[in-house]
Amino acid sequence: MTAPTSQADDRIIDVWGPRTPHGPDEPWPDRRDQYLTVDETAVERWVQSACVMCSNGCGLDIAVADGEIVGVRGRTEDRINHGRLGPKGLFSWQANNSPDRLRNPLLRVDGELRPTDWDTAMSTIVAHARLVIDEYGPSATGFYTSGQLFAEEYYTQALAARGGIGTNHLDGNTRLCTATSEWALVESFGSDGDPGSYGDLDCCDTLFLVGHNMAETQTVLWARVLDRLHGPDRPRLVVVDPRTTPTARAADCHVALRPGTNVPFLNGVLHEFIAHGHVDRAFIDDHTVGYEALAKVVESYPPERVSELCGISADTVRRAAEILGTGDRLVSTVLQGVYQSHQATAAAVQVNNVNLLRGMIGEPGCTVFQMNGQPTAENTREAGADGSLPGYRNWQNDSHVRDLAELWNVDVLQIPHWGPPTHAMQMFRYIENGSIRFFWITGTNPAVSLPELARIRSVVGDDRLFLVVSDAYLSETAALADVVLPAALWSEKTGTFTNADRTVHLSEQAVEPPGEARSDLHAFIDFARRLNLVDRDGAPLVPWSEPEEAFAALTRMTKGRPLDQSALTYEALRGGSGIQWPVTETSLGGTERLYADHHFPTEADVCESYGHDLSTGALSEADEYRAHDPQGRAMLKAAEWEPLHEPVDDDHRFQLTTGRNVYQFHTRTKTGRAPQLHEAAPEVWAELCAQDATDLDVTDGDRVEISSPRGSVVAKVAIGDTRPGVVFLPFHYGYWDHDDGVPTAANELTRTDWDPVSKQPVFKVTKVAITKVTDRAAQRRDRAGTGAS
Amino acid sequence: MNKIPILLQQLHESETHLAKEFRRVATREAVEQDVYYLGHRMATMCDTHAEKLRAAGERYEADLDPPEDSSAIGKLLGSLRHTASEMVGRRPDTGLLLLRDLRELYLMAQEANIHWIALGQVAQAVRDPDLLGLVSELHTETITQIKWLKTKIREATPQILVVPV
Repeated sequence: MTAPTSQADDRIIDVWGPRTPHGPDEPWPDRRDQYLTVDETAVERWVQSACVMCSNGCGLDIAVADGEIVGVRGRTEDRINHGRLGPKGLFSWQANNSPDRLRNPLLRVDGELRPTDWDTAMSTIVAHARLVIDEYGPSATGFYTSGQLFAEEYYTQALAARGGIGTNHLDGNTRLCTATSEWALVESFGSDGDPGSYGDLDCCDTLFLVGHNMAETQTVLWARVLDRLHGPDRPRLVVVDPRTTPTARAADCHVALRPGTNVPFLNGVLHEFIAHGHVDRAFIDDHTVGYEALAKVVESYPPERVSELCGISADTVRRAAEILGTGDRLVSTVLQGVYQSHQATAAAVQVNNVNLLRGMIGEPGCTVFQMNGQPTAENTREAGADGSLPGYRNWQNDSHVRDLAELWNVDVLQIPHWGPPTHAMQMFRYIENGSIRFFWITGTNPAVSLPELARIRSVVGDDRLFLVVSDAYLSETAALADVVLPAALWSEKTGTFTNADRTVHLSEQAVEPPGEARSDLHAFIDFARRLNLVDRDGAPLVPWSEPEEAFAALTRMTKGRPLDQSALTYEALRGGSGIQWPVTETSLGGTERLYADHHFPTEADVCESYGHDLSTGALSEADEYRAHDPQGRAMLKAAEWEPLHEPVDDDHRFQLTTGRNVYQFHTRTKTGRAPQLHEAAPEVWAELCAQDATDLDVTDGDRVEISSPRGSVVAKVAIGDTRPGVVFLPFHYGYWDHDDGVPTAANELTRTDWDPVSKQPVFKVTKVAITKVTDRAAQRRDRAGTGAS
Repeated sequence: MNKIPILLQQLHESETHLAKEFRRVATREAVEQDVYYLGHRMATMCDTHAEKLRAAGERYEADLDPPEDSSAIGKLLGSLRHTASEMVGRRPDTGLLLLRDLRELYLMAQEANIHWIALGQVAQAVRDPDLLGLVSELHTETITQIKWLKTKIREATPQILVVPV
C-alpha cells in the first residue's frame, strides 16, 4: 500500500496536516508530505537527508534539478516521521537559494568588511590565533559553536580546541536550548542520553508535557500525539504552561502556573503520589537511591501551599497528580518552559522523579524525554563541543581523561580538565574583561539570541577581541566580526546528526555550496593544519579530510561508553530509516530504549559527572561520590522552591516570557528567507490576555513598548489566552531585515542570569513594564532612533 | 556552669560575619552574575543560621545579639558597590580581587564549619536531640557553601592567574 500524499500548500494554515488516527500499540500510519517548486517529473535526483529545523529529526529526501534544490519529501520508511514534514521542514530549504548567501570570505579593513579570498581569510585567522596563543596562552582563545552543525564538525572542533590548542573554552549555543536536558539526565541517571523512543508515544496511556509547547516546537511529533488523541483509547494529557498554547488546548488538565514555579508544582505532584500511594515501592527500593530525602522535601508541598506559590487551584494539583499517578504507561516530556526558567535543572530532575517514583522507565510507553531544541544539539553533547568532554566522559575522572588522551595521542595534561568546560555565558564574561582575545563563532547569532543584548553587542564589539564568524549569511553577529567565513549549509555537505530519541541520520550532500563557501568541517581541518596542531608524535592532530573518516573516528571514540556507536557506519545509515544508538557489534540495528533492565550508568567509574548540588551548582568530589556510589541505581534528587531573582514590582508589573513560533526558528536566518514562513509571521508581536489589554487600553494591532531595566522592545499587540500578568514575545526578531531603529529583539529585555547547574540562561522570567505607543510617541522615537541595530 | 554559651557565641559570630561578607562580596562582584545571585542567597542562609542559633541559645543562657540593623546605609553602600562593580567590570585586574574575596569567604566558612562540628559534639554530650537536629540541618548548608566556594575558586583561578591581561 502506498502512503497517502498530503499537499503542502495549506501547511501554513493546517500546521499538523491531516489526521491518521490509531489506537495504542498499533503502528503510526504513513503519510507522505512533500513540497516541490517544479513539476515532479523535472526532479533529477532525490538525495537522502533529514530535517534540521527542530530537534525532531524527520527523515526526508532532497529533490535536485539543475544543480539546485527544488524541494523535499518526507521519508515514509523513517521511524521518526513516517513521511511527514512540518511547515519549516517543507519550506525552509528555500533559504539555501537566497540571493544574499555569503559567497566570499569577508575581512575587516579600515573598519569595513570587504570581500577577500579563502586563503587570505584563513591565513589572517591563523596568524591572529597564533599571536594570541603565543602571547596570552591557549586559554585566551574561545570557540562558540552551534546546534546546527553536523556531528563530524563538532568532533573535529572539540579535538582541535581541547586536544590541539588546549583551551577549555568551547561551548555551543546548545547552552541556550538543551544544557538543562543534558544535566537533568546526568543528575538522575548518571549520564546524558535520552532513554526513550518516539514509539513510546504510540503506546502510552498518559502524557505529561512540562513547559513543552510541542504543537509549535516539534510539529511532526505533535502530529504523532494528535493521531493518538484522535484515535481509540486516547491517552490522558497533562500540560504545564502559563500560556494556553495549542498544546494546552488539547489537554485534559492544563496547569497554567505562574512563571518560575515549576519546582513547587512538581514537588506538589510528588507529594500527592506519596500521600495517595501512587509510588512503586519495589522499583524505588531496587533501582533508586535518595527516596527518603526526596520524601522529606516534598512533604512540605501539600496542594494548598502549591496553590499559593503557583497561582493555581489546589484541585488542579490534585487532578494532575491523579491523572499522572493512575496510568500504566506514562511518557513525560520537558522543554524550554523548564530549561529557560530559574531552577531549571532542579525542575527538570523533578520530572525524572515523576517517572522514577512511578517505576515507569525503560519499558514501552514508559519514559521521560528531556527534549532538545535544535536539530543537532545532541551531537555537541556527544562530541564534547559543549560543557562536557567527548563521549560523555567525566572531566573529574582521571581515567576518562587518560582514555581521551590516548585516543588522541596527546599528553593527558594537554586536555584542560582542571574545571568543567567553560560555559558560554562565562566565555562572554571572559571576553568582557579582556581575558579571551580570539573568539570563533560558528553557525549561531549571539547578537540576537543571548540575554541582555546591549551588553552582548558591546562585548563582542570590544576592540581587544579578534572575532571570527562562520555563517551562511551576514547575520547581526557576522556584521561585528573581523573575519567572516562563508559556510556551506545542510544539503551542501555530508554529515550525521542525532535527534532527541537517539536516532542518527545521515544527511548527504545534494548540491554544491555557493561561491567559496565551505563546510565548517573543512574550515576547521584547514585551521588545524595551518595552525600546525600535531599529536605527541608530530603527526597531524586532525588526521581526517572527509566526513566519513571523521565519523569513523567519532564512533571509535564512543566505544565502551553509554552512547556506544562503534558499529555504526555511513553504509548502515544509507537507505531505510535512521538508527538509534547504542549501535554495537551485538546491536547492529540499534537500541530502542535505554535502561530496559533498570540499570543506570551511575557507577563512579562510568558516570559522566559526580553531580552537583541542585540549588547552588556546588560540585561533588570523586571520593564523596564513591562513598555513596549508587552502583547502577538512579538518583532521586530533591529541591526546595526558591523565589525569583527578579520578581515583578510596582514599576514592572508584568512577567515577560519568550519563546518560539511555529513558523520561525532561532533568529530567522533561514526561516525569514523562506517566503511562506516569512509571510506567516513577518514581525514581532506581544501576546497579552484580554483583561491586561483592556487595562492598558490597547487592542489587537496596537503598538506597545515593553521595557525592562535593560532595554525596550516595540511590538504589536496580539490578544491571546495567556495568564494575566504574563506577556509573551517570540525571540526571533533581530535586525538583519529592518534598519528603522525600532528595537524588536526580545533579548533587549532579558537579563544575564543562568541556572546554577546547567548554566542555561534564564529567558522565561523577566520583569517588564508595558505602555501603549501613541502615534506621537512613535514619531518621536522614529526621529530619535534607538541605536538598536 | 558549662562553657556551651561560649561556643554558641563563636558560631553565631562566624555566621553573622559570614552573612555580612557574602553580601559585601556579592555586591562588589555584581558583574559576576553567579557570585551576585548565589552570594546573596548564601548571605540569607547565614542570616537564618544566626537567627536559629539565637533561639537555641536562649535555652543555654547564651546572650546572642542580633547584628545591628544597618539596612539603610547597607543598601546605599551595596548600590554604590554594585555600580562600581559594573564600572570596573571590564578592567583586567578585577580578577585578583575576586579571587581574594572568594578565598576570604572560604576561610570564614571553614571557621563556621569547625564550630558546627564542635556544636554537634556538644549536642551529643548533653543529649539534646533538638540541638543535634538543628546542627545536622544547618551544618549541611555550611558544607554546601564551602563546596560552592571551592567549585568557584577552582574554575576561576586558572583563567585569572595564567592568562595575562
